[in-house]
Amino acid sequence: MAQTVLEFRAVVKRFQSVNAVDGISFSLQAGEIFTLLGPSGCGKTTTLRLVAGLEEPDAGEILIDGKTVAAPERGLCLPPEKRHLGMVFQSYAIWPHLTVFENIAFPLRVRRETGEVVRRRVEQALEVVGLGGFAERGATQLSGGQQQRVALARALVYEPAILLLDEPLSNLDAKLREQMRVEIRALQRKLGLTVLYVTHDQAEAMTLSDRIAVVERGRFEQVGTPEEIYENPATPFVAEFLGRMLSFEGTISRNHTGSWVEFSQGAGRSAPSSLSESLSHGTRVRVLTRPEDVEILGASELTANQLAATIEQVAYLGDRFEYHVRAAGVQFVLSAPKKQRFRPGDAVRLSLDSGRLHCRLL
Amino acid sequence: MKSPSATLSLPGFRLRLRPIRMAEVGFLVFLAVVMGLPLLFLLSGSFNLAAPGKPAIYGFGNWQRAFTDPGTLSALWMSFLLSVVRLIPAMILSVMFAWLIARTDMPGGRFIESACWIAYFVPDFPLVLAWILLLDPNFGFLNSLAKSLPFVEGPIFNPYGFWGIVWVHTSTGGIWFKVMLLVPVFRRLGATLEEAARVAGANTTAMLWRITLPVLSPMILAVAVLSFIRGLQSFNTELLLGTPVGIYVYSTKIYDYLQREPRAYGEATALGSVFLFVLAILLFFYWRYLSGNKKFTVVTGQGYSTLRVKLGRWRYAALAGCLIYVAVMMLLPLSFLVIGSFMRRYGFFNIASPFTLNHWYNLLADPIFLVALKNSLIIASVTAIGGILLYSALAYLLVSRRTITAPVLESLCWVPHVLPGILLSLGVLWLFLATPLRFFLYGTVWGIAFALILADSPVTTQAFKAGLLQLGADLEESARVSGASWAYAYRRILLPLLAPIAAAVGLMNFGSALTSISTPVLLYSHQSRPLAILLLEYSFTGELERAAALGLLITLIIGSMMLIARRLGLQLSRSD
Repeated sequence: MAQTVLEFRAVVKRFQSVNAVDGISFSLQAGEIFTLLGPSGCGKTTTLRLVAGLEEPDAGEILIDGKTVAAPERGLCLPPEKRHLGMVFQSYAIWPHLTVFENIAFPLRVRRETGEVVRRRVEQALEVVGLGGFAERGATQLSGGQQQRVALARALVYEPAILLLDEPLSNLDAKLREQMRVEIRALQRKLGLTVLYVTHDQAEAMTLSDRIAVVERGRFEQVGTPEEIYENPATPFVAEFLGRMLSFEGTISRNHTGSWVEFSQGAGRSAPSSLSESLSHGTRVRVLTRPEDVEILGASELTANQLAATIEQVAYLGDRFEYHVRAAGVQFVLSAPKKQRFRPGDAVRLSLDSGRLHCRLL
Repeated sequence: MKSPSATLSLPGFRLRLRPIRMAEVGFLVFLAVVMGLPLLFLLSGSFNLAAPGKPAIYGFGNWQRAFTDPGTLSALWMSFLLSVVRLIPAMILSVMFAWLIARTDMPGGRFIESACWIAYFVPDFPLVLAWILLLDPNFGFLNSLAKSLPFVEGPIFNPYGFWGIVWVHTSTGGIWFKVMLLVPVFRRLGATLEEAARVAGANTTAMLWRITLPVLSPMILAVAVLSFIRGLQSFNTELLLGTPVGIYVYSTKIYDYLQREPRAYGEATALGSVFLFVLAILLFFYWRYLSGNKKFTVVTGQGYSTLRVKLGRWRYAALAGCLIYVAVMMLLPLSFLVIGSFMRRYGFFNIASPFTLNHWYNLLADPIFLVALKNSLIIASVTAIGGILLYSALAYLLVSRRTITAPVLESLCWVPHVLPGILLSLGVLWLFLATPLRFFLYGTVWGIAFALILADSPVTTQAFKAGLLQLGADLEESARVSGASWAYAYRRILLPLLAPIAAAVGLMNFGSALTSISTPVLLYSHQSRPLAILLLEYSFTGELERAAALGLLITLIIGSMMLIARRLGLQLSRSD
């Protein structure tokens, strides 16, 4: 059983009258990357800052390594410097008046380590982030990627209980971002770090995280592994946020063999495997699926889990085609590989994957 | 993994927020007392018929006397008239300067900009003296020069009077500061707006008149109104050039009331209150205008313009025009200040050995000068250091987001920005005289420094705020998360990063403390007389040569400090 490093118990943080963090509870296990994913203003950064002690909660309790660090009911809130954390800020917050070495040495100097220890550990940290030989550079002479590595080294140099990363990659260009993503993951594995990661980029969250919490309006919409939340989004928000969803309206039909959905305008029928047995005949529902789970087939007799559709527009994107499709009164865009070729006006069938359909009441 | 140490059990929380709350409350009380009380005393004092410090007798006598004196209303009217009349040429010229510097290919634009920057810091009182040396009907150099021409009878220039004041203001306050405010405005104008006009077929003139100026007009108007309000605060020029011929503005009138024997506190205070009232109305509309105007957003944002208007051959004419203006308005008077300080008797160029070092010797050997120098240095140092300590802390509070009273604090610290020096002085005088503060602040260098520190509050606080905002909270917060206490983070991170700003602001406040006349003029005593007041006394007693020497000395001190400040990277941030 992994050890719990961080625990939130019904934590609330208000700004004016808005609950930026609205009663969040979760725990972070040693050695995992836990990501807070959500749109800007959803409260994910506030959550991170609550952990760091840069904000004070208004209610609830926060524990680090089993010890309470913030409990407003008891008037307790440990200042950031007493929490033994490492943090990389979105802006990196490299102190411009110090060299790379002094930037990284700062946490050690604060802790009154001897000069020999400081030198050795700063050099180790620089090696770890791949900046060996940069020690005497001025902090402002570095590129964005290098500053990011310095910030990381500075956060790691004193082996913090938790590494807090606040959108650390958002200021890097796309290629560097991908590279750093891989490096951070590798580093985390190598050093066995416990990481709390904040991002609004779902691809980043997907590739980096052991677990993801999707945050919206100060609440956790869903917590789970990347696969879980992508494949089984608990709420429409999660589904939307993690990627495009197609949605078709329909009506529940049932007879003695079972129940299925009749799509509107007689476009077809489907029996989602997740369809609840309790839905009565005639209930209006919405069926959701991800576009990549839909296949375009040539015109033929409709079978189960197929929708009649029309191609309205075609765009050639080099590596694939993009079809503007209309089905059951809804217009949407689907990508398809180049081996298939349809023209505007073609009648086609859309094949749905019954295991990946989600049903919601209208 | 290390685990958090045993310090977890310490009740650190209550101690953490309290200092900030205490500082906030402390500042609130302090600012309310030092900014608010003088105003309150000013208003209540105008209804008080007794002298300050005596048992109060309330009544309308002061107001009655102030308003039955025809001089009062004419002084108020004169303040407005002068402020408006001199604003017109100054605005036209400064818009032209700013446009030439920021938007055209005129060579030497940077140089002209720097010249304006330096000229802004040349203290005005020595310049007024210099113009007297140049234009005085009896001994003015330009008049002597004119007299040697045929057909010229008697002096043609006279600095004493309405137009003399307007002219000298164009040289002192004039365009320098406005150019500094407007150049960034012109630079920031989105290039695309002008480029679109070009593509649409507009030539330079059409673009300028139909796009550039209309788009910038809200900003230009804002600068104009601000200059107008600041123009109302003027004191020195009117005192030297208006008073001798009976032209009073309200600030010199207040001074006049307080020079009478016995001091007419009541009338002075009543006049001050009326002016405050008018000022409040003006500021209200100014504020309404600024906050209600959404056009401002167009100007900012988009990148710097690369499009520069090609002036062709006119570019050299434009440069020559700018250079001549700077030369006539700044170099000419300053050089006559130098000449004046070395002349045995100013204006007498034909006597045997007209030049002498005596005035400098006499000045530097004068024990009164030495005392004044010491006073000034104490006052200026205390002002500079006090301002840095006080307003860096205030700015930190304002930026830190943890204060709930930030708007109140903010507006309190803006009060001195619009309060004329003489009114601030009068209010502080009331504060000293009506409270026990009189025992250790009235008539002392500390009292003067106190008033000057108050006067510095807006610009200093804004400079620190801008610096802190630019640094961002991250730098401090990352130090905190790294394990540094607030004090350690402040010392190792914030202080070193703010040092250049602190030094620059400190130097600037040091300089303005040295040259300020209207603020200490009601607060000094013979023991605490600063250099600027000594300069005023020399000019009143007609010791022009010695005054020129002292004026030059002050100018040199200021000049060198400003150059150092500029080296330190002082950006005069737009503080409004």
